[in-house]
Amino acid sequence: MMVARRVGLATALTALCALAVGCFGDEPVEPDTDTRVGLQYPGSPLVTIRIAFRTGSVDDPAGKNGLNALTALMLGRGGTQTMSFGELTTALYPWSASIGTQTDKEVTTVIAQVHRDHLEPFYEILRDLILAPRFDPSDFQRNQEFLSNAVVSTLRGNDDEELGKQALNVLMYEGHPYVAPSTGTELGINAIALNDVREFHRQHYTRDNFLVGVAGGFPSGFLAQVEQDLAEGLEPATQGPVTLPAPRTLEGVEVLIVKKQAIATAMSIGFPIEVSRADDDFYPLLIAQSYFGEHRTFNGLLMNKMRGDRGLNYGDYAYIESFIQDGGSRLPLPNIPRRQQFFSIWIRPVPHHNAHFALRQALLELETLVTDGLTPEDFEATREFLLNYSKLYVQTASRRLGYEMDSRFYETGFYVDEIQERLAGLTVDDVNAAVRRHLQHSNLAVAVVTTDAEAFRDQLLSNQPSPPTYNTTVSDEILAEDEAIVAYELAINPERILVVPVEEMFRSVELVRSQ
Amino acid sequence: MTHARMCVVAVMVVAVVTGTACVQEPDGIFPFPASVFELENGLKVVSVALDSPGIVAYYTVVRTGSRNEVEEGFSGYAHFFEHMMFRGTEQYSTDAYQAVIKQMGADANAFTTDDWTAYHIVASSDSLETIIDIESDRFQNLEYSEDDFRTEAGAILGEYNLNFSNPVALLQERLHDRAYLFHPYKHTTLGLLADIQDMPNHYDYSREFYDRYYRPNNSLIVVVGDVDQAELERLVRQYYAEWEESDFEPTIPVEPPQTRLRTDEVTWPNPTLPFVMFGYRVPAFSDQSIEMPALDVLSQLLFSETSPLFQKLYLEEQVVDVLDGGAVDSRDAPLFTIIARVTDPARIEYVRQAIVDEIDRMKVEPVDDGMLAATKSHMRYQFAMGLDNPGGIARTLSHYLQLTEDPATVNRVYRLYDAVTAEDIMHAATVYFADTKRTVVTLVQEGE
Repeated sequence: MMVARRVGLATALTALCALAVGCFGDEPVEPDTDTRVGLQYPGSPLVTIRIAFRTGSVDDPAGKNGLNALTALMLGRGGTQTMSFGELTTALYPWSASIGTQTDKEVTTVIAQVHRDHLEPFYEILRDLILAPRFDPSDFQRNQEFLSNAVVSTLRGNDDEELGKQALNVLMYEGHPYVAPSTGTELGINAIALNDVREFHRQHYTRDNFLVGVAGGFPSGFLAQVEQDLAEGLEPATQGPVTLPAPRTLEGVEVLIVKKQAIATAMSIGFPIEVSRADDDFYPLLIAQSYFGEHRTFNGLLMNKMRGDRGLNYGDYAYIESFIQDGGSRLPLPNIPRRQQFFSIWIRPVPHHNAHFALRQALLELETLVTDGLTPEDFEATREFLLNYSKLYVQTASRRLGYEMDSRFYETGFYVDEIQERLAGLTVDDVNAAVRRHLQHSNLAVAVVTTDAEAFRDQLLSNQPSPPTYNTTVSDEILAEDEAIVAYELAINPERILVVPVEEMFRSVELVRSQ
Repeated sequence: MTHARMCVVAVMVVAVVTGTACVQEPDGIFPFPASVFELENGLKVVSVALDSPGIVAYYTVVRTGSRNEVEEGFSGYAHFFEHMMFRGTEQYSTDAYQAVIKQMGADANAFTTDDWTAYHIVASSDSLETIIDIESDRFQNLEYSEDDFRTEAGAILGEYNLNFSNPVALLQERLHDRAYLFHPYKHTTLGLLADIQDMPNHYDYSREFYDRYYRPNNSLIVVVGDVDQAELERLVRQYYAEWEESDFEPTIPVEPPQTRLRTDEVTWPNPTLPFVMFGYRVPAFSDQSIEMPALDVLSQLLFSETSPLFQKLYLEEQVVDVLDGGAVDSRDAPLFTIIARVTDPARIEYVRQAIVDEIDRMKVEPVDDGMLAATKSHMRYQFAMGLDNPGGIARTLSHYLQLTEDPATVNRVYRLYDAVTAEDIMHAATVYFADTKRTVVTLVQEGE
C-alpha cells in the first residue's frame, strides 16, 4: 500500500512543474455558475477547495460577539457525525491534507487543500464537516476557551501591532456592525452556548449564501458534485445579508489610547471611505495608496520618509481596504471582502519619545497627499509598478481562486484583470481627483498603544512642539521638513480622546461609548 | 529545449552539458532537474527551469547568519547587514535601486537566520538581466555613509521593538542564552537589545563584516522559474566574474556538552497565558547520518496533532492550547525546541512533567509501524505540496544549498527519512533527550 502511494506521489511530483503560472490559461472543463468557480489545471497534483459563506461577525447576535468565529472554529477544529476531531486529524495526517476556516466581518471561508491522490476520501470528510458538523461539547469547550484566550491573552498582551489595528477598528466603527473584532469580545464569547453555535450554523451556512471554488488537478464532474452536495445538504436561508448603516461621522481627530506596558508605541490611523473594488474610484485610489504607502516595500512615501530618511521605526504603510498579509508573503489575503471599506495608515512601533513626532509626520504627509496629489512622474512610476506587481498576486492556484471568488462578491471582473484594464486608462488627474474626493486629513480615528498613556494624551492635547531624537545628524533638507512636522497642529477633539487600560479593551462592543 | 529538459530525458543522476552539471534523480523527492555551474571565484549558481511563463525567482544566498557573530558585543550584525544591503552603491543609490525594483514590479525582500542570509526577488522573467545587474552590483560595490548606517540602526531597533511585544520572543531569547555558553546560537538572530542600541557606534565593524562574508565563495545564486539556463550562465559570468573571493574563515566557538539540567523563569508585564519552553541540543544537519532525520520524525511523533501527547494535553485534558516542537536544520548543533502554552497557570508543572514523561516513553517504547508509516507519508506529502510556485521552490532549494551547497542533498535527506526505524528513534531520544541535557524556561504573567 505504501509502495503504491509513493509511486503515485512520484508521478504527481514530476507533473508539478506544470502548476505555477503555466497552467492558468487552461479552459475550464466545467463552466462556472452563480455558486461555483473552477480553475482546472490537469497538470497540478494539488487541489484547493474554498467554500465561502456570506456570513461573518456582522451576524453575531447582540451580546454574543464571537459566535460566527466560534462556529467556524467548530468546523475547522471539530469533527463530523462519524469522526471525532481526533479521528479526523488522524485521517488527514498521512496525506498532509488541511481543512481550516477563515473569518472576517462579512464572509467566512472554509479552506481545504489535499494532494489529488486522496481527493475522494478527503472530500467525503470535508462534505460531512460542512453539512453535518459534530458540535461535540468537548470541542466546544476547547474552542471557546481558545477564542477567549485569543482576545484576553493574545490580543491584549502578545501583539501590540494587532492590538493597535483592532483598537482603530473599535474607534472607527463605534455603533456599527463592524465594531467588534472578528474573533469576538470577551463577554460575548463567554456568553455563547453550544446551542447558539448549532443555530448559527443552521441559519448562516445555507444553500443560498455559499460560493464554492475548486482549483488544481481535480477530475471533471468534481466541482459540480460539490456544488450539488452543498445545495442539497444545506438548509435554505431565512434571511439575507444584514443591512449595513453608514459608519458614524468622525469628529475631528479622535484618539483612543490603549494603556499597557509597551516597549514602543504602536499607532494606526484611519477613517471609513465609500469606495470598494466595486467602484470606479477604487482603481485611481489604488495608485495613490501604492505611492503613499505600499505594504512593506520602499515604494511608499511614508516608508521612505519615516524609516528610510529618519530611522523612526521598521515600517509605515497605507491601505484603501481592509488588508491582512497572506502568510509569509507581502500580498493581500483573499476572501476577506467587505461592502464597506476604510483608509488606514499603519505606523509600526516607534520609540516612545518619537511617537508624537511620527504621528504628526504621518498626518502632515497625508495632508500633503490630499492637497498636492501625485506628480505625473510619480503617477507613471506607480502605475507601472502596480501593473507588474499585481501579476504576482496570483502565483499559486489557491490565491488565484480566492481572488476569483472575491470578484464575485464585488460583482467585477477578475481583480488582477480589472487592475490591468482600469489602470491603463487612468491619468494623474483622475488619481488626484479621486484622492480629493475620498481622502482627507481632518476627521480621523487614531489608535495608540503605549505605556504612559496619560502623558501622551496630554502631549497631544497641548499641541506643543515634539522634536525627534535621531541616532545621527540628518541632512538640512530633512531638518527643514522637520521644522514643519515638529509644530504641525493636530486637530485633536478634546471630547473624543480616551485612555483605556488594555484589560478593558474588547470586553464588549460598548467600551468606547461607556467612557 | 533547455538544459533542464535535456536532463529530464536523460533520466540520469549527473549529466555534464557544456560545463554545467544537471542534477536530477528519478526517484528523488525533489521533482525538478537542477542545473549547476560555478565561476572561477567560487560563486555557485543553481537553477531550475519551470513551466511558469513570465515569472522568475532569484535568490542570492550568503552563508552567513548570526552564527558568524562571534565577537562579544556584536550580536545582530548579520541581520543588520541585511538591512544595509539596501543602502546603495555608486552606480545604484538607494533611490535608484528602489526605482528599478519598482519599475519591474518586483516582490523583493530579504531575511536572516542563524546560518544564512537570503536576498530574494520574484519578478517578470523579462527582467532577468536587470536583476542580475542590480544584485551583482550591490554584492560587489556596496557603499553607505556612516549617517545612513546610524539611521538604519533605528529601523533595526524598530524591528526588535515590534517583535518583543510578543512574549515568545523573550522566551526564545532566554532559552538560547541558557542553553548555550559559548556558541553564537546563544543569542537570537535579531541580537541583544544592548548590542542593537550600540550599533550606531560601529560603522567600521559593519564594513569589516561585509568584507569578510559578502564574497562569492561564501555565496550562492538560486534561480527558479521561466529561465533560459544558457542565458543565465552567460549573464552571471558577465556580471559576477570580477567579484573577489576571500579566505576568511570565522572561528566558531565549540560548545561543550551540557551535563546538568538548566532552568529559568521570566515574567511578562502584560496579560498572557503562561508558556513553557524546552531546549535540547541536537546534531548539526547532515545528509549522511540517520540521527537528525530520526529526530525530525520523533518531533512529529511527539507533537503532531495525531500524537498521543497532543491528544492528551490539547484534546482530552485541554491544559494547553499550543503545543509544538522540533529543530531547524542547522550548520552547528541547534536546539530542539518545545513550546507549550498552558491554559491554567496552576498546571504549568503538570504540563512540564507530561512532556518529560512522553519523551521518556519514546526512549523505551518502539513506535508502531502504522504510526511510523503515516508520519513518513505526512512528511513527504507536506514537502511536495509546498512546491507550488517559483518563489517557494527557490526558497526550499536555497535552504538545503546553504547547508551543503549540493542540490542532491534534499533527495538524500528524504531517503534518510524513509529509512528511519523505530530503533533509530529510540536511540536518538535516549542520546539527545537525557534529563541532564535539558534546558527549560517558563514565562508567567507578572504578579502570578
